[in-house]
Amino acid sequence: MALSLEETKRLAELARMELGEEELTHLGGDLEKILEFVGRLSAIDTTGVPEADLTAHVQPPADDLAEPVSVETHERIIENFPDRLGEALRVPAVFEHPKS
Amino acid sequence: MTPHEQTITSAAEGMAKGTFSSQDLTQAYLDAVNGRNPSLNAYLTIFNEEAIEQAHASDARRREGKTLGVLDGVPIAIKDNILIQGERCTAGSKILDKYVATNDATVITRLKDAGVVFLGKTNMDEFAMGSSTEHSAFGVTQHPRDPDRVPGGSSGGSAAAVAADLCCAALGTDTGGSIRQPAALCGVVGFKPTYGRVSRSGVIAMASSLDQVGPFGKTVKDAALLFETIQGVDTHDQTTAPTKSFKPTFPEKLRGVKLGLPKQAWGEGMSEAVRLRMQEAVEGLRWLGAEIEEVDLPYADEALAVYYILMPCEVSANLARFDGMRYGLRERADTLLQTYGRSRAHGLGEEVRRRIMLGTYALSKGYYDAYYRQARKVQTLIRRAYDQVFDHVDALITPTAPSTAFMVGEKVHDPLAMYMEDIYTVGVNVAGLPAISVPCGDFEGLPVGMQVIGKRFDDARVFDIAHAYEQAKLH
Repeated sequence: MALSLEETKRLAELARMELGEEELTHLGGDLEKILEFVGRLSAIDTTGVPEADLTAHVQPPADDLAEPVSVETHERIIENFPDRLGEALRVPAVFEHPKS
Repeated sequence: MTPHEQTITSAAEGMAKGTFSSQDLTQAYLDAVNGRNPSLNAYLTIFNEEAIEQAHASDARRREGKTLGVLDGVPIAIKDNILIQGERCTAGSKILDKYVATNDATVITRLKDAGVVFLGKTNMDEFAMGSSTEHSAFGVTQHPRDPDRVPGGSSGGSAAAVAADLCCAALGTDTGGSIRQPAALCGVVGFKPTYGRVSRSGVIAMASSLDQVGPFGKTVKDAALLFETIQGVDTHDQTTAPTKSFKPTFPEKLRGVKLGLPKQAWGEGMSEAVRLRMQEAVEGLRWLGAEIEEVDLPYADEALAVYYILMPCEVSANLARFDGMRYGLRERADTLLQTYGRSRAHGLGEEVRRRIMLGTYALSKGYYDAYYRQARKVQTLIRRAYDQVFDHVDALITPTAPSTAFMVGEKVHDPLAMYMEDIYTVGVNVAGLPAISVPCGDFEGLPVGMQVIGKRFDDARVFDIAHAYEQAKLH
C-alpha cells in the first residue's frame, strides 16, 4: 500500500493536524508498513459473517439531564478554558481573522 | 516488613490491630515515593497533602468504629487517565499538561466510598498508546529492577509503583494489554475485566469498544478486592452490564479445572526465557490438579491486525475533542483551522499522531469497507472461536508478553515491533474477555508473566486459577 505525499497531506488535513513535509514523509512510511501488516485481513473469507455486535448488554441511554454542579466545579471548568473573557469561553472566529 | 511494603490485606490487618495508623502508613509511602520517584518517574503527580488528609479522616472513622471496609485507609495509586476531581489529569499528554479534572470518575467515587487514600497519579504512554511508557510526554518510567529497561505500558507507572512498593495497589486501564503487559514485565498481578464490568465514566477514552479499567496488586487477592470495589453497573456508562455475580472461592487446588493451551500462542514469537518459565508454569498447574490440553483457536493470529484497525479508528474519533477549544493546549494562529491544526500537532505526541492518521485513513471514503468493516467481521470470527473453545475448557493459558522487559530505546522507533508486544493480550480485548497476568518466575533477574483468560463474565474463575497458582509458590 503505497501512500503519496499528497495523500498523507490530505489525511493530516482531515485529522486537523498541521504537520511539516518531513514528518508527513516519515509518517507516510510508517503508515505503509502498518497498512501492509493489517492488510492481511483481506485474505480472510468473511462472506455472510456479520460485523461484531458489541451491544449485547448495552443499557438504554440515561436521561440527558443537566446536573447542578458546585461553585468549585463551575470555577474549575472556567479555569480549564484555554482563553476566556470573564466567565465566557473565548474561541477564534469561524469566518474571519480574529483581531489580535 | 517495613511500613511501606504492604499488600492491601496486610495493611488492613495492620490498621485493624492498631500496629500502625493509615496516617503512619500513608506517610511511609509518601516518603518512599518522594525518595525514589525523581529517578523512577512512576508518578506524575504526588498528593502529599491530600493523601495525609484522607488518611487522617480514615483514622478518625476507625476510632469511631465507622470503618468503611477492608480498603479504608489503604494507600493506592491511580493511572493518570482516570479523573480525580480537583486534581491535574494529563493522560501522559502535553495537550492536557495543565488540565484539572472537574469531576470524579465512577471508579474513583467507588474507591472514595470505600475510604481509599490516593497517593498520586501514575505515568503512562500518551493517551494509553504504547507498551513502554516511552510515549509519555513526561519521560519514561524506569523498570524498578533495571533503570535501563522499560516497565511496559501503557500503565507502566502503575505497574512500577506497585512493584517498587510505592503503593499498596493501583488502577490502570487496558485497551489492548495495557494492564497485563506492564504487570508481567514488572512482576506484579494485573487484571483486565470482562468488557462491561467496570464503568469508564470519567476515564479519558482511547478506544471505547475495547477500554476497561482494572487493578494492579502485589497478590491476586488484592487485585480481586480492588476489582470488586470498582466493578458494577453505572448509569453513566451504557456498556456496563446489569450486576453479575463475582464470587471467587480461592481454592488451593485446581482439580477438575480444564485449561486450554491455544496452539497459536505457543508457536514462534516468544523468547526462550518466556517459553522456559511458561513450560514450568504449565507443569505447576498440572501438579495442582488441572487437566491441560492443547486447543485450536482459529483466527487468534488475526487479533493484532483487527486491533490495529479498530483501535486507531476509535482513537481518531475520540481524540477529535482535543482541538484546543474548550480545554487543553491552544496554539494561537490566524484562522480557526490553523488553531486546530497547530494545537493538535504541538500538543499530541508522535505515536498519537500516527494512530490518528491511521484511523483517519481506515475510516475514509473508499477504505472503510476494506479496513473497518472487514476488521469488525473478523472480530466476529475471533469471538466465535473463543466461544467455541470455552465449550471445552474453563480457561486458557498463554504468556502475557513475548519477552521480559526490554531496553529503553529498543523498540520506540519501530512501531510494528512495539505493536508486537500486544500479541498475546489484544485477542482478549477484541473478544471482550477477562484475563489476568500473574508472575511465574524470573529469568536473569527479570519477571515473566502468565496470562489466564476466562469466559465473558467468568472473572471469578480467572482469579481462582491465578490465586491457586500463586499460593502454590511453584517458582
